[in-house]
Amino acid sequence: MGFHIVVCIKSVILAAPEEQVVRTEDTSELNPFDRPVLEAALRLKELHGGRVTAISMGPEASLSALSEARAMGVDREILISDPAFAGSDTLATSTVLGAGLQKLVPFDLVLFGVRTADSDTGQVGPQTSVQLGIPFISMVSGIEWQKDVFRVERVADHFLEEYEVTSPVAFTIHPGAFEPRDLGLSGIGRAFESERVERWNLSDLGLVPERVGDAGSPTRVISMMRVKETKKCEFLKGDAREQADELMKRLSESGAIGA
Amino acid sequence: MDGILSEKHRIVRRSVRSFCDREIRPIAGEIDREARFPWEVVEKMGKLGYFGIQAPRELGGADLDSVSYAIIVEEISRASGSLGLCVTVHNSVALYPILAFGSEAQQEKWAKPLAGGEKIGAFCLTEPNAGSDASGIEATAVSDGDAYVVNANKVFVTNGGVADICLLFLKTNPSGDRREISVVVAERGTPGFVVGDLEDLCGMRANPVSSIRLYDCRLPLDNLLGREGMGLKIGLAALDTGRMGIAAQALGIAQAALEEGILYARQRRQFRVPISKHQAIRMMIADMGTLVEASRLMTYRAAALKDSGKRFSQESAMAKLFASEACCKVTDMAVQIHGGYGYSKSYPVERYYRDARVTRIYEGSSEVHRMVIARGVLGKK
Repeated sequence: MGFHIVVCIKSVILAAPEEQVVRTEDTSELNPFDRPVLEAALRLKELHGGRVTAISMGPEASLSALSEARAMGVDREILISDPAFAGSDTLATSTVLGAGLQKLVPFDLVLFGVRTADSDTGQVGPQTSVQLGIPFISMVSGIEWQKDVFRVERVADHFLEEYEVTSPVAFTIHPGAFEPRDLGLSGIGRAFESERVERWNLSDLGLVPERVGDAGSPTRVISMMRVKETKKCEFLKGDAREQADELMKRLSESGAIGA
Repeated sequence: MDGILSEKHRIVRRSVRSFCDREIRPIAGEIDREARFPWEVVEKMGKLGYFGIQAPRELGGADLDSVSYAIIVEEISRASGSLGLCVTVHNSVALYPILAFGSEAQQEKWAKPLAGGEKIGAFCLTEPNAGSDASGIEATAVSDGDAYVVNANKVFVTNGGVADICLLFLKTNPSGDRREISVVVAERGTPGFVVGDLEDLCGMRANPVSSIRLYDCRLPLDNLLGREGMGLKIGLAALDTGRMGIAAQALGIAQAALEEGILYARQRRQFRVPISKHQAIRMMIADMGTLVEASRLMTYRAAALKDSGKRFSQESAMAKLFASEACCKVTDMAVQIHGGYGYSKSYPVERYYRDARVTRIYEGSSEVHRMVIARGVLGKK
């Protein structure tokens, strides 16, 4: 079967005019944090051969994200969609993605974006790894594949961490680590030539309605409102030295500079 | 618009815009000032398929539809009119006629390197004494053994300074019927093929527009495109597609001017408020937005008609006429909104204003377009 990478991608909402979330093809786009992930997967494929599968859970409007993945060079795309998934929180989403990934075994690597541009939780990657019971490393900025072992780099708190981990394994990818390629026009043309995206629903995954959607979601979003940012300008009093002292005091108290 | 644009078109726009914002926009002002053709970017564009947008994949093209073509030219022109010009001329009046009228051997020889962006194409029709009246050209090709002996003085050749493959409009039977015009392909480097000085133009300065002259230049008889006497037919077919490209180009420049106008109107404060609060400015912005949107609809509709295999000459001519005139109005208003700064090279609107002007002149002037459109509207009676 060869090297197999699965990339989990999402179609995100670009704009929510009048605070209303409406998912249409016009208002959705591939999550920008997923583009570097697809890039990382395609570079590994170019080095080691094998294939890349992209999966996305969401309504029909999510097809555009999968088409873009195909235009980038992904080999297989699967849309996981069912009315029963509506209202899924991150846990229910991880349950669904986990079930989808089980159907794709064997794979060597599962990749996620570090977060999404619309809901921004950063939870789906780690939670899905827990569902699958496979090791997980977050914010990966470098991947090398050496005979059944991944050597992985991750920068955290100004330290470069290096890991060695066996497959199968899951990573979230640092958004700045893999500059996504420009889409070639012929790739776009080819991606839309035939209806190739596979579709899986609730029963394909062998899940029950109670574990997904609203029913399977322990969290509830109670309300959503735009935060108004306000700026206040204040003039410090005293001579230059007093003003400088006061400024230093305030900056260090606010944590803007080190004490 | 939603009926015309598909998911594919949105991805085409997003990916081309992202490339242009990163690679072209930052240098657009500089290449205009220096009148420099940016090979470093053109090479990248070639690899991404921008020089073979509608060519078949077997020849290295992207095989996209005409609506995608219009979107791509619009987006490149939004960043740089000069590069939009390079791409539209290359695709629609150099590569397209070879695809439509060339033999298999000619397609292999010329369309392939053109589609891959390894070579740049040009269309050489205009002469010092022949422009709107294409049948008045004086360039000649006299057959002599296995070659045509060509003498020509072609002017205002877009891409002229960098083109490797040039479509020449010539009289193949100089002493006979004045309408016997043919297209012969000339490759740069052939003895007798001379690239003249670059034109010092008002706008589109990053495009190396030049004259091309041929002095007793021997071009193989096999370089004839189609048959002898087919020149005007080939020219008209190329220009139908070309006009759509110019409409898309004008649309892109106007879109850029609209965006700059909005940005400046929101930033600039006079009488204690941003000038976007003043009614006089708001009226201009409203007109600009409307003109841009109307240009877009007309351009995409002409392209969609072509994609569905319907006649589109009239719609393409109307789109070119409207979009180019709209572009001049919109860029003029963008300069006006900027006031004195709009007249300075510190802001890009003065470049848009200069680039816009020629869209009303080339590939058929507004006047020629009105002539053609009137004929279509009135019928032959």
